[in-house]
Amino acid sequence: MTDWAAARVAAIVCLCVAAPTYGEVRQTIDFARDIRPILSNHCFRCHGPDAGKRQAGLRFDLRENALAELDSGKRAIVPGAPDEGELIRRVYSDDESEQMPPPELKKPLNDEQRSLLKQWIADGAQYSDHWSFRPLTRPELPHVEDTADWSNNEIDLFVLERLRSAGLQPMPAADRRTLLRRVTLDLTGLPPTPEEVTAFLSDRRSDAYERVVDRLLASPRFGERMAMLWLDLARYADTDGYEKDSHRQMWPYRDWVIEAFNENMPFDQFTIEQLAGDLLPNATSNQLVASAFNRNGPTTSESGVDPAEFAAKYAIDRVNTTGTIWLGITVGCAECHDHKYDPITAKDYYRLFAFFNQVPEEPLYEGADSPPSIPVPSAAQESRLTELALQKATLTSELEAIGTQSGGEEAAAAELRNRLDSLASQEKELLATVPKVRVMRDVPQRRPTNILMRGDYRNPGEEVAPGVPESLGKLPDNEPATRLTLARWLISGQNPLTPRVTTSRLWQVCFGYGLVRTMADFGSQGEWPTHPELLEWLASRFVESGWDVKGMLRLIVTSSTYRQDSRIIPELQQRDPENRLLARGPRHRMPAEMIRDNALFMSGLLHEQLGGPSVHPYHPPGLWEEQAWADSPWKTWKQGHGQDLYRRGLYTFWKRSVLYPQFALFDAADRTVCAVSRPITNTPLQAFVTLNETTYVEAARVFAQRLMQEAPVDEPKKIEWGFELALSRPPSPAEQDRMRTLLRQMRANYQNQPTDAEQLLSVGERPRPDELDPVELAAWTCVTHVILNLDETMTKE
Amino acid sequence: MDSLQYSIDQAQTRRQFLGRTTTGIGALSLASLLDPQLFAASTTSGQAAGGVLKQLHFQPRATRVIFLFQSGGPSQFELLHRRPKLNEMTGQPMPESLTQGQRLAQIRGQKLIVCGSPYKFRRHGESGAEISELLPHTAKISDDICIIRTVVTEAINHDPAITFMQTGGQQPGRPTMGAWMSYGLGAESEDLPAYVVLVSVTTPGQPLSVRYWGNGFLPSQHQGVRFRGSGEPVLFVSNPPGIDRPTRRLLLDAMGDLNRLKNETIGDPEIATRIDAYEKAFRMQVSVPELVDISGETQATLDLYGPDVHKPGTQAANCLLARRLAERGVRFIQLYHADWDHHLGLPGAMPAMCQANDRAAAALITDLKARGMLDDTIVIWAGEFGRTPMLQGELDVKKYGRDHHMKCYSIWVAGGGFKAGATIGEADEFGYDVVKDPVHVHDLHATMLHLLGIDHERLTYRFQGRDFRLTDVHGNALPLLVA
Repeated sequence: MTDWAAARVAAIVCLCVAAPTYGEVRQTIDFARDIRPILSNHCFRCHGPDAGKRQAGLRFDLRENALAELDSGKRAIVPGAPDEGELIRRVYSDDESEQMPPPELKKPLNDEQRSLLKQWIADGAQYSDHWSFRPLTRPELPHVEDTADWSNNEIDLFVLERLRSAGLQPMPAADRRTLLRRVTLDLTGLPPTPEEVTAFLSDRRSDAYERVVDRLLASPRFGERMAMLWLDLARYADTDGYEKDSHRQMWPYRDWVIEAFNENMPFDQFTIEQLAGDLLPNATSNQLVASAFNRNGPTTSESGVDPAEFAAKYAIDRVNTTGTIWLGITVGCAECHDHKYDPITAKDYYRLFAFFNQVPEEPLYEGADSPPSIPVPSAAQESRLTELALQKATLTSELEAIGTQSGGEEAAAAELRNRLDSLASQEKELLATVPKVRVMRDVPQRRPTNILMRGDYRNPGEEVAPGVPESLGKLPDNEPATRLTLARWLISGQNPLTPRVTTSRLWQVCFGYGLVRTMADFGSQGEWPTHPELLEWLASRFVESGWDVKGMLRLIVTSSTYRQDSRIIPELQQRDPENRLLARGPRHRMPAEMIRDNALFMSGLLHEQLGGPSVHPYHPPGLWEEQAWADSPWKTWKQGHGQDLYRRGLYTFWKRSVLYPQFALFDAADRTVCAVSRPITNTPLQAFVTLNETTYVEAARVFAQRLMQEAPVDEPKKIEWGFELALSRPPSPAEQDRMRTLLRQMRANYQNQPTDAEQLLSVGERPRPDELDPVELAAWTCVTHVILNLDETMTKE
Repeated sequence: MDSLQYSIDQAQTRRQFLGRTTTGIGALSLASLLDPQLFAASTTSGQAAGGVLKQLHFQPRATRVIFLFQSGGPSQFELLHRRPKLNEMTGQPMPESLTQGQRLAQIRGQKLIVCGSPYKFRRHGESGAEISELLPHTAKISDDICIIRTVVTEAINHDPAITFMQTGGQQPGRPTMGAWMSYGLGAESEDLPAYVVLVSVTTPGQPLSVRYWGNGFLPSQHQGVRFRGSGEPVLFVSNPPGIDRPTRRLLLDAMGDLNRLKNETIGDPEIATRIDAYEKAFRMQVSVPELVDISGETQATLDLYGPDVHKPGTQAANCLLARRLAERGVRFIQLYHADWDHHLGLPGAMPAMCQANDRAAAALITDLKARGMLDDTIVIWAGEFGRTPMLQGELDVKKYGRDHHMKCYSIWVAGGGFKAGATIGEADEFGYDVVKDPVHVHDLHATMLHLLGIDHERLTYRFQGRDFRLTDVHGNALPLLVA
């Protein structure tokens, strides 16, 4: 390497905000990767796509304009001659009055950035589109030597190529126990049972792992696991969110999502039904429920609110959510002005808005059934309603028969009328319990849409027609510009963003991060993919497979990349702490619902039932009241009992203004807005939950009952089984010793304080078997309580 | 500017009480933009770090904030802003020149009638501040506070307006003031969070959302931790029945040993962080009960706050706790006192609201001052908006009410470098519009941050491709407010 090249590499390595390198050699400057982020971050605010804020008529986002002669007669950029253009002169200038970026912007360039700009202009100032807006093309597989011992599928070729160019080797595969636990957690949200571990260990067939993956993908738990993630995106909740935070009944939508994932509904259909299920010809009740996606946003009924203001807010919520989920770009920035970084104008924004402001809703409606809504009876409710209707019909005809007979039989008729009344009131009662799901509809006569100047609903500007952002393409001319057409365009292949965003999101399910780490921003301010070619390849493959979600996940989890050991080697940790190069397997704390689900599962408490109304498990008393409106009919958390205490976390009642605190403390989203990922924090308040909250203390006790009653008599074997249930592995001798020490300590402790034992065992509603010795059970409860609180228990590794 | 830069006590590593984010992505990438060195420091050491600002931008005047939020929107005309013209014109139509085309809430479409105030104002203290008879205790601290009569906000309904006051934006999703401070400055206390929230439970009024002390898009360790007046002071802080403190210690020792054994093979810094978090939780089980135990306070102090101080969840009890939290290094202490939304029946409700609030707030100022803490503690007393000079409801001195008003309302601030004994701003004679010295909510935020040593334009967080800040793209630190 020449000195010059060494300097170049150093410069690029230091930059590394958008596209980090790890000692890899990059010989050429790529405009979109290396230059655009600088221009975007430091210059676009005044010289970018936003026409309203543009200075000196100069814009750097388009090459033609950047190279053009300015009003002053000068040129900002002269290709091949950096010193002749104003750009380089100004960024190197010491004169504060002409320095760029202006000092008051407080976004100065550093030396590396300046020299990159200079070099880029010297090389000819070539432009290229931002990567995510380029058409999707399937790249060639990289040619990598000697992969047989590690690579399992195409993913690995891309990963290995990058690792090798960074002078690194991948980790060997995780041991079979760890791997089984990892993939079971990722695909179902629950750990494997000890029996499943044993079966996998003894299955010596070459495709034993693939068989496990197929079994997991076929499990109904898969849909629940995937729904957990989708519901954050779909900002699904059980309450309205604004001031009064009234309750709603959108859970049939939640169940629709679970079912769609379980049936492996292709992602294109999944898209169409949610965005425009109501506009499909002969839309089924299910498709209408799917369209509830766009009615999931927060709503208000605060008095004194201007309905027009909130009607606009609801449409804005729909545009932004759709933009984030399907386009992965921050269209919301264009609500008030042209986007400052990406080619989305305010006009583009309101063209999208025009698809979503057509709902015949009353913005301030008070009530769960805010129209348009449909009743969605359960199967049992449906059959009971049919039964009642039949009975009513029978009685009515009998009554008519009596009426037509001469003389009539008054007593018999009165009796029939009584029975009819009773049936009618039964029907009414039942109907009152049938959830009314808010769904989408469009008004018959399209409402005009205007640009809202600076996002102000009272300040309409130019009228616009519905359409997609110009820079991303256009809707087909021969189709009406409806939400349905928009949904079809999103998954049409005309739009390269949706496959990229969705594939990256499926990667996130397994690795904790997307291939683009800024999952909410695939635009020019976002990060570049850690493996651009791999993302392109996977996204192309995803589309070609017919948007096969399970197929894509299968491909990812069967790669050697996914199967790597997640051990952290200090040298690697220093070089790549965030595992961007994928030189090891993923290791992350589980999300809120999974931590709870796991504790319930290990103890045997988990009640598995797919779908249904949201449930109310243990909750701190008084919490809702303290933050509620005095007259609120919703101010009390009415705790459930029995099986309702032990359902999976995604069925917990999701109140936006006071999110279930056991989940909120573990970073769950309140779902007021679309959330693409949750932070993963590690705090003392979380320790309080798993140490002290009823669910966990009860789970520890029932877990201990299980060890005492179901496990072999001898003590080490019980401890071993506890580890197997929680961690899918036996304890090491040192761990076994430590646990036995603890058990002895706790026995002594509770022998001295038997009333403490009784108290500990009284936590939670699940009855305790009388035959178990309280001191012994309390001691074992402490053992299992420690197991539930281990870092490893709460971690997917 | 460099000459003004002030180094936060570098020798002492102030560790983030609430642990740290392990996703890294938002926190780290942003932190690196603010300070490239930080990137290396916080990712490789595995140590919890303090705030992202390693250096303050200015010499700070204050190190902490106590915000006495008056939710619902107290009426300025009954408390802090005397407008004789309203009394003169009571019952007459409001001049249309003022109200034409302006936003209204509940009295939209109604005839707009001027409504005076029956409460007497007097001048108090050396500063001669005009304060109403409803606030006799606040009157006594008039020389310590700065009354701002020209605050301007942008939202006219409760939820968006509270959200705006707390986050600088009306839409949900942005971090609240306390979250920004926790993020920027970190925690001072080893045993308590950086951001604590206390809610008056005795006056159930406007509903409060957890969002009002949320972290928005910041990592969630920056969210406010609510200390409750009833039940457990912090959710789940108490050991379950049958686990006493020595037993808890033995259990934590076992967890720690097992976690360390695991870490010998896996080498994940997160495990050390988790062990640390559990140890902090154990310490907090002492520090929290110690905090809420006021038995060590002198009788004189207790008398200052009044008899309500013994009732948990009152404004008096919460104000005393706020002082105790401030003493222990908590950065941002957010109190909520709700039920100021007097559309109707204002005269029936307001005196009691004032009684619950006035003495406690004044006691807090007096107490902080006596301990020398007012100099570096900012105290803000404010609602999300004020109320209209126009009548809502019946024109009856016992029953009248007022609607929401956002164009001009009154708050007070004290301590931490704010001017003492000052009254800022002039409104028109109806108190409808600002005539001189508007103080927009963004300006209030910018000034508060300035006094804390922070340039409001330089405490930013990259989210969805944009560098967000508390003041959005507006706001100025106002010298007018600063002593």
